[in-house]
Amino acid sequence: MSAALRQLGESTAEAVAGVLGALAPGEVERGAVTVAGADTDPLAGIRAPVVVASVSYVDGVTGGNLFVIGIAGAKRLAASMMGLSEPEDIEGELSELELSAVSEAANQMMAVAAGATSKVLGEEVEIGVPQTQLLASVEEVEALYEKTPHQAHVAFTIFGESCRLVQLVPNAFVVRMGRAFDQQAGALLVDHDVPGPAVDGGGGDVLRGVSLRVWAELGRATLPVGRAVGLASGSIVELDRAVDDPVDLFVNGRRFASGRLMLADDGEWAVQIDEIADPADASAPASASAGPPIQEGVR
Amino acid sequence: MARVLVVDDAAFMRKMVSDALAGGGHEVVGEASNGVEAYDRFQELRPDVTTLDITMPEKDGLAALKDILSFDPTAKVVMCSALGQEAKVLEAIKGGAKDFVVKPFQADRVLDAVSKALA
Repeated sequence: MSAALRQLGESTAEAVAGVLGALAPGEVERGAVTVAGADTDPLAGIRAPVVVASVSYVDGVTGGNLFVIGIAGAKRLAASMMGLSEPEDIEGELSELELSAVSEAANQMMAVAAGATSKVLGEEVEIGVPQTQLLASVEEVEALYEKTPHQAHVAFTIFGESCRLVQLVPNAFVVRMGRAFDQQAGALLVDHDVPGPAVDGGGGDVLRGVSLRVWAELGRATLPVGRAVGLASGSIVELDRAVDDPVDLFVNGRRFASGRLMLADDGEWAVQIDEIADPADASAPASASAGPPIQEGVR
Repeated sequence: MARVLVVDDAAFMRKMVSDALAGGGHEVVGEASNGVEAYDRFQELRPDVTTLDITMPEKDGLAALKDILSFDPTAKVVMCSALGQEAKVLEAIKGGAKDFVVKPFQADRVLDAVSKALA
């Protein structure tokens, strides 16, 4: 169980570090993930006053996350997000705009963390709106959350200032994570038993350099010719897949794998492969040529 | 130049988006901090483009998008999403949003999305 919890902590910490790194380039250091039980104080060593952003999961799983940062760290993070090299008034009180910036940072961090978690669980995990407050004492911070049987913490340093992410994890969440990891491990073992592709062999090294056309298919539709020729700019064609359905990946006309459509860091679409197609199924070509399907498929 | 309604629950993001738009010569005609306000302000202001955050209190961006498009099917809406919200972005695009911007973003990306929505 602690392995699943650690994995959750690691994937969340990685996601959070990525977002913080984008908000404060070159100024973020990540510490190790610590997994702890209910009897541990997740805020040990933190000195008030602090800014606390609390983000709950609202769908899919229960539990939540606290992002805790001191005033100086919050001011520096906010300044960086506004494109300033230094806060205008590092000694002064935290402004509403600075508090809002920390809240937005927490929102972006948790959205990525929820995305990482939903990929592990294989179901959508939705986050709530961040509740962000400036709290004068640790007691006020503790009153914000209910104790959960498990916690995962990770410490970060931003512009030399300490901050901390605390994941509050209920039992049911850990059990589901453990099950998801077991299934992934099982799938990997099965994959190893599948014979390798035909490029393994005498000419393999030469063939490995050959370029192949790869495309992803979101879905298909069948239209009567009359409607197809009547399509105009602004027409809508419904496809046969739901938003959350996997997309198919084709290699030179053959369905090769299915996976999840995701956004890469640079804003471009990418496909994370969930499943490699069974060689028997993969033999069905999408079209006779090496190009994408031209009648029904939508790239 | 476009008249733009900026919707985000975080005052900070409203300022960032508004500054980016103003820098590109657009006029921010109004702001809203949740989906309910967004719909009210849209009806009142009839902006050329609306930027819409996804995660918001009261009513989220997807529900607000539906309301706005049912009131005006020609409305041009650009979604603002965080990384990790790919499924929601897809749903929004399928629901009629013209483009999306992933936070954290550069000002140029906001301007590109608005131009694309207006094209």
